[in-house]
Formats: sequence, structure tokens, C-alpha cells
Amino acid sequence: MNQNEAVQQNSKPRRVSKKKGKALNNPPVKRLLLPTVVYLIIATQIPFIVTIYYSFQEWNLMRPDKGVTFTWFTNFIKALSAPSFYEVAMNTLILTTSVLMICFVCGLLLALLMNRNFVGKGIVRTMFISPFFVMPTVSGIIWKTMVYNPSFGFSAYFANVFGVAPYDWFTQNPLLAVIFIISWMWIPFFMLILLAGLQSLPMELIEAAQLDGANRLQQFFNVTIPHLVRYIEVVVLLGLMFILQVFGEIYVTTSGGPGFASTNLSFLVYRTGFQSWDVGGASAIGVITVILTIVMMLLMFKVLRRMFKEEQA
Amino acid sequence: MKKLTSGGLTFLTYLLAFLFFFPILWVLITGFKSEGEAVIIPPTIAFKPTLENYQVIFDLGVVGYFLNSVTATLVSTLIALLIGVPAAYALTMYRVKRRDDILFWIISTRFLPIAGVIIPLYLIFKNLNLLDSLTGLIILYAGMNIPLIIWMMRSFFNDVSFEIIEAAQIDGATGIQSFFQIVLPLVRPGLVSTALLSMVFAWNEFFFAVTLSYHKAATLPVYMASFMTQEGLFWASMSAAATIAILPVLILGWFTQKQLVRGLTMGAVKG
Repeated sequence: MNQNEAVQQNSKPRRVSKKKGKALNNPPVKRLLLPTVVYLIIATQIPFIVTIYYSFQEWNLMRPDKGVTFTWFTNFIKALSAPSFYEVAMNTLILTTSVLMICFVCGLLLALLMNRNFVGKGIVRTMFISPFFVMPTVSGIIWKTMVYNPSFGFSAYFANVFGVAPYDWFTQNPLLAVIFIISWMWIPFFMLILLAGLQSLPMELIEAAQLDGANRLQQFFNVTIPHLVRYIEVVVLLGLMFILQVFGEIYVTTSGGPGFASTNLSFLVYRTGFQSWDVGGASAIGVITVILTIVMMLLMFKVLRRMFKEEQA
Repeated sequence: MKKLTSGGLTFLTYLLAFLFFFPILWVLITGFKSEGEAVIIPPTIAFKPTLENYQVIFDLGVVGYFLNSVTATLVSTLIALLIGVPAAYALTMYRVKRRDDILFWIISTRFLPIAGVIIPLYLIFKNLNLLDSLTGLIILYAGMNIPLIIWMMRSFFNDVSFEIIEAAQIDGATGIQSFFQIVLPLVRPGLVSTALLSMVFAWNEFFFAVTLSYHKAATLPVYMASFMTQEGLFWASMSAAATIAILPVLILGWFTQKQLVRGLTMGAVKG
């Protein structure tokens, strides 16, 4: 980046017109930024600190008689020694990585298909992107009823056509069923961003590669993919942010079950906090969730940093 | 041969687009079927359209939930814009000390899982009498959307050439004047799409809504979830309710898709 910004930065001190005096000499950076900082601290940081505090308390809203007692790390020990926790952590990992991979591969393939000229491109793109705007609860309901329902869903219909027994998705493979729903919602988003990347690929690059005698496959891997890297980073980052926190789709389809088979960490916090009313336990799991998310984020940290760095360079 | 492949690929694209859109289309259609027709196997396309499902869900009070959603969405987006846009402006246009760190911190608050804040929020809201109130949801939705707004608006502000502002200031415009008279008109398309995207997220939000509201302040996602558990067998009227729940943002989304891509990618991608 970015001549424009470079100019901006160099010219910043010069922007002062002496007549107007102080207001321009001291750009109102603080006044402009402060509301955001204060708001975000109140709405996100303070509640999280309170979560940490609660995670050291034994406190069940169903048992007001027992009161609130400080228990050190009991909640963490209890959470981490439950076998279900590892099942849930594993579910979260499987769910997130497989959805990201499915979305990336399918999104890229669709973007390649869309990066051609054909009649009705606008409408086709609109049709593709639509699932992304459907609210998670409704996507869950649509799939649960229309696709997976073992008596009148489409999967039952096709099972009937092919003469096999209908597959009860939510009892036999709940996690996979949820993965399909979330992929349906997020493939369009990946497609949209990656398509933007493909469309920004300069024609000269492809032509140069062709002159060098590269075949289609070589062009794709040596020219297209490197060009797409930044777009891939953005889309994976944004996808990760939302897919790690999937909640509504699980709530309406499986309620995390059977057992813990389709519970992810977000949903485990809900179950512990709002079904068992265990404030301490839910807070402890919440803290662990945040820590695991931060670990994921640190893995992406370098990527983010690099993005901002290069933007300034 | 080449033409044939190209035609085949186009056909494949149409087919896939139809498959992706089909579940939505099917819900829109099923909303106009009778309950009996909705569960026929194999599914019928030939049926007599009826509005009785819409009658049913209106009697069940869908309008109240709809208005809750509208209020929460519009007010929270307005607040988020009022707070976030100036911050994005400052971060793009002015020299800010440790800008990268501030920016990174702002974005990172969006990464903070709701699971990590929901328990205290519930208890705090309970103490402040904010449970089952739209005010509470609005506060949280605004907080959820501020980072997104800053992320997107920054990329639109980046496109504004600094010379224009400088020229205005040499002509004696103050910072605020140049913002409203020069910068804002230039970024208006971006601003509109940013607003629409945060409306989409607020409209669809479920975790906060289901834990912090019950009846009075329940929004459409909560309504849909309770519909599923209580009357999940009534597929036709559920489809009608789902249509009302998704159509507004679907239409918003159709109009914003181009700007959306630009806003989300430019900030990070622009070389």
C-alpha cells in the first residue's frame, strides 16, 4: 500500500491552516475514538472480567440456599475432568475445521465457475449468496424439516426412491448434519469474497504466464492462488470468527444431542449456564472457551499483523 | 468441443445456484400450502395457494416479534454507526499513536465469544431490570456491530483522497464541516452497505436474544426457535413464519452484495 495513504500520512502535519487555530492543530482523535473504546470496554471487556471472577465461585442459581462461595479452581477442575468436555472440545474443532475446509474448497470452485461470462450472472450470484443472509435458526429449521425429516424430508424421499431405509441424520450423525447446514450458509460467503479476488486478478499476469507456456493448471497454482492469498486470509479470518461461535443452528436442530454428540463449546456454556443454572461452572467453561479462541486467534495473529503491516508499507 | 465444455459449465453453475437457493425457495412456496399438502411425499408443486398460514401466524402474534426485531435492528445499528464511524474516520484520516494496536484490539473484541460474556451479562441485566427488554439487546447489538463498522468504514475512508479534504481545509472548512460536506457524500454507498450489513447481523442474532429475552422483547429468531419446539409439526405455518423472518434481510442482502465484498476485503487486501 498505498500511495494514497502514504501521501495522507506525510501531509498530515501540513493540513493545519493557521487561521483556524487549535482545533485543526490537534485533530480530535481522542474525542472520535473515545466513545468506541469506552463502549467496547463496557460491553465486552468488563463482562469478560466478571466471567473470570465468577469462574472461581461456586454458585448455582437453582440452589439459592447454598449461596455463593469462593472455591479457587474447583470449577475448572470439574469442567476439565468431565469426559463430555473433551467430546465437546473435539466437536468444536471438527466442526470449525471441517466447515472452514468445505467452505474454502466449495467456495473456490463456485467462484471459479462464477468467474466466467454467461447469461444471467447477476441472478445466479444473488441465488448463491442468499443462504448467507438467512438467520441461523431458520436455516436450522429449514434443514431439519425439509431435508433431514425422516418421514417427509427430501432425504426420506430420496431414500424411498432408491429403496433404502431413511437415514435419521440427527440421531445417527448429528455433527455431520450440523456441518452441512453451516456449510450451506457459509459457502456463499466464501464464494463471494474469493470471486472478488479472482476478478481483481490482472489479465496481464495470466497472459504473461501463457507466454511462458504455463498450462491452465500451472497458471492456477502459480499465478491465481498466490494472488488470492490475501483474500483467502480475510475470508478464513471472518469465517473463523463466526463459525467458532455457531449456536442457533445447533439450538433448533439437535439441542446439542444426543448426549453431547453435537454440542460445541458455545452451546456447552449455554447448557451449563441456562439449563443447569450453574453460574460458576458455565463461567469456567466460558473462560476456557475464550482461552481456546485466543489460541486460535494467535495462530491467525501473524496473518492479521501482516495484513495491516503491508497496508502501511 | 470448447464451446460444449463452456456450455456444460454454465449449465452446472445454473444447477448449483438452483440447489443452493432451493431450500429458501421451498420455504417461500410451502408457506402458501395447506398443512396437509406441505408434508406430502413426493412433494407437490401443483397445489392451491392459500393465505391461511399467514392468518394463523398473525393470530399467534408474529407482528409483535417482527416489530421487536425491527426496533432492535434499527436502533442498535444507528447507535453503532454514531459511535463507530467517527472512530473509523479518526483511525484512517489522522495520525493515531499505536494505530495498529488500537485497531487490532477493536477487531479482537468481535472475536470474543459470546460464551465468554453471557453469564455476567445475564446476571447484570437481571439486577438492572434489563432482562426481557429491548434496551438490553440494543446495547449489546450495538457493541457487537461497532468493530464490524470500523473494519468496513475504514476501507471506504481509505479511498477518499486526502487532497480533497486538505483543499477544503485551506478554504477554511473545519474538521467537522469537511467530514459532513466532503467525506460523507463520497463514502455514502459504503456507509449504506455497512449499515445494511450490521442490520443483517443484528436481525439474525440469536444467542443474546434467546438468553436475555423471553416474551416482551423476544425477536424473530427467538420466535422461530420456540415455534420449532412447540409447533414444529406445522410445517406450512412455520414456513410462513420463516418467510416473514428471512425476507427482509434477504432483500437487504441482495441489494448490498457488491458493496459488502468491497467493504470486507478492501481494508485488508488492498496492496
